[in-house]
Amino acid sequence: MPKGEIIEFITSCQDSESGGISASIGHDPHILYTLSAVQVLAMYDRLDAIDVDGVVRYIVSLQQEDGSFDGDKWGEVDTRFSFCAVMILSLLHRLDAININKTVDFVLSCMNFDCGFGSKPGSESHAGLIYCCVGTLSICKRMDALRADELAWWLCERQLPSGGLNGRPEKLPDLCYSWWVMSSLSMLNRIHWVDKKSLEQFILACQDSETGGFSDRPGDIPDPFHTVFGLAGLSLLGDTSIKLVNPTYCMPQETIDRLKLEPQVLHI
Amino acid sequence: MQKSMPNLYDSELQLTEYCLKVNPKSYGSWHHRQWVLITRPDPDWKTELNLCNKYLKMDERNFHTWHYRSFVVSKCQPSLKDEFDFTTEKLLDNFSNYSAWHYRSKMLVELYPDVKGGRPIEDSHHKHELKMVQSAAFTDPDDTSAWFYQRWLLGAVKNNVDLAVISVTPSNTSLAFSQYVSKDFVNSKIEIIINDLPVSGEWLSCIGNQYDNLWIFKHNVLIEDGLDIKVQYEIENGQKQVLSCVPIKPFTYVGRNKVNFQKHYSVPVLNELKDQLESCRQLLAMEPDNKWTLLTTTVFLNCINAKLYHTEVIDNLKTLKSIDKLRAGYYEDLKTKWCIENQLYKDYENGELVFKVNFGEKISCLPHLQYYSHCEKVDLSNQNLTSKVLPSLIVLQNCKCLSLKNNKLTSLRGFPSLALEELDLQGNDLDINEVNRIREVFKGNIIF
Repeated sequence: MPKGEIIEFITSCQDSESGGISASIGHDPHILYTLSAVQVLAMYDRLDAIDVDGVVRYIVSLQQEDGSFDGDKWGEVDTRFSFCAVMILSLLHRLDAININKTVDFVLSCMNFDCGFGSKPGSESHAGLIYCCVGTLSICKRMDALRADELAWWLCERQLPSGGLNGRPEKLPDLCYSWWVMSSLSMLNRIHWVDKKSLEQFILACQDSETGGFSDRPGDIPDPFHTVFGLAGLSLLGDTSIKLVNPTYCMPQETIDRLKLEPQVLHI
Repeated sequence: MQKSMPNLYDSELQLTEYCLKVNPKSYGSWHHRQWVLITRPDPDWKTELNLCNKYLKMDERNFHTWHYRSFVVSKCQPSLKDEFDFTTEKLLDNFSNYSAWHYRSKMLVELYPDVKGGRPIEDSHHKHELKMVQSAAFTDPDDTSAWFYQRWLLGAVKNNVDLAVISVTPSNTSLAFSQYVSKDFVNSKIEIIINDLPVSGEWLSCIGNQYDNLWIFKHNVLIEDGLDIKVQYEIENGQKQVLSCVPIKPFTYVGRNKVNFQKHYSVPVLNELKDQLESCRQLLAMEPDNKWTLLTTTVFLNCINAKLYHTEVIDNLKTLKSIDKLRAGYYEDLKTKWCIENQLYKDYENGELVFKVNFGEKISCLPHLQYYSHCEKVDLSNQNLTSKVLPSLIVLQNCKCLSLKNNKLTSLRGFPSLALEELDLQGNDLDINEVNRIREVFKGNIIF
């Protein structure tokens, strides 16, 4: 892929005023795209291509009094944005710029009866948001606050007879949960609570033989989103034809090692 | 301009309603609708609640709608009892509605906390919920929703932090707790007293974090024979307790607390659990291979009296492993945890100073290992331990002789820095070069 062009494009998506980065040139900045930009540049070892202080300023401006984060200036709050914030700042080695205790407290206020997490306080547990909340705690080194056995049990119960995983009880399996569930279980050090073999078969059945991409379920149309989670999921399952993927960052382990980041994994 | 504002707001609401009809899972549309309503001066919350009802009829699991509902409820504040009853209505429609169980859990602890006893749920309601969820679960034992709610109810007891063991040697003073506690906690609630004088010093987490279950106390007191060493600690209700240490050999003192893993229920709730156990057993007699009935029976047994039913519980977990193969790893680790708990009672009663697995089952993980942090000899040979447990060994701060002989180790990545004199790694699938690399930094004797 044309590395130079990609980096140039990212640079031109940064908004000089707020410091945030947008999905495309001329769009409004948002924490989601700011994260993607920082992740891509970290992998290229080109974090110098953006105004890092601007990004830090942008993230700091999004933290609310209760420790939560807005996604952008329009004020939508979601635990996804808490995760984006700590991931961005840790990749930039600037985690001290925000109030970590409050960040953690907000995430913990989203914990539910099943020990899972939702998007906001009171919201139902969902494997995708569990990944975001567990990831936040992993980066903030507060995995102790989880109820690991209860949460990991709920997560391993996502595996259905087809081998695939769903994101909530009584829902259909979807390939992307191979990432959300397995990454969470990896951080909890309990990946062996699901059956790896049948999950691997499910993931491989989602690959389209014509284009090579992966879809949500066998036979559906592939897309880049499910392709990345399919591949990253296979890496967690121990497939050595793919570079080792870090379960907290969903990025190559070599990048995480180069940046000397040590997201927490629970003891078992 | 002022006049047209209500119209503008109304048309925004119409627009979001149109968008939500097309895509009821659009984060943006729900958020915009919420923004309009908190921005306009005359929001009609009743209409919004009806909108939620309508959308939940179309899709009872749409978490956006459920979330929007709790936002609306926070504004128009209907009685919580009405909201609680709404979940009953939804569940009677369909017990499989996990979203309704979730919402119900929130209402239940708000409405009926056990203020006096400090439990999450008041007795009579706890009992009522147990009855309701069992009838739901028995209606269709293969539907998973109700089982999760039931498991929560079984765990809804008071959960106190307790001191497990203190160990004092000339080189190391360590304190293990039943669960993770913060640096603030150890700083403010724990006092080490030697010969009636409080000792000043600094607390260090053994993993280097702000929360830990094993804390090292750095102090300058010379540890010799004939000392009177105790810990004074304050538990949640503010009462002070004292744990005294006894000398176990020259220059070495250990103070062990009572071990307690049993959940404590009120008498009416416990009686309800016993009744339900009987119903489960009856159902199981008809369908011995039903995973959910067997799992529930097993959890009931463990909750009611783990010591008494230990053998049956372990046998059930073995059966579960074979009928629910996808989760074999979970049952295996649960078996390990409950076996270790059972052994811990005996080891603490007998004053054991060596940790050696002494039950018929092989262990697959290292739960509660901090309870053995005082042991100088730890024998984990002939087990099913894999390399993922290695970082957990950090709590063996007093261990001198560690055996991991005949396990399933494939790498030494994550092996913690411990002052071991002997480490036995024979009978593992390890790379000799990796063992040699450890040898270079390791002072003790490695058997490989």
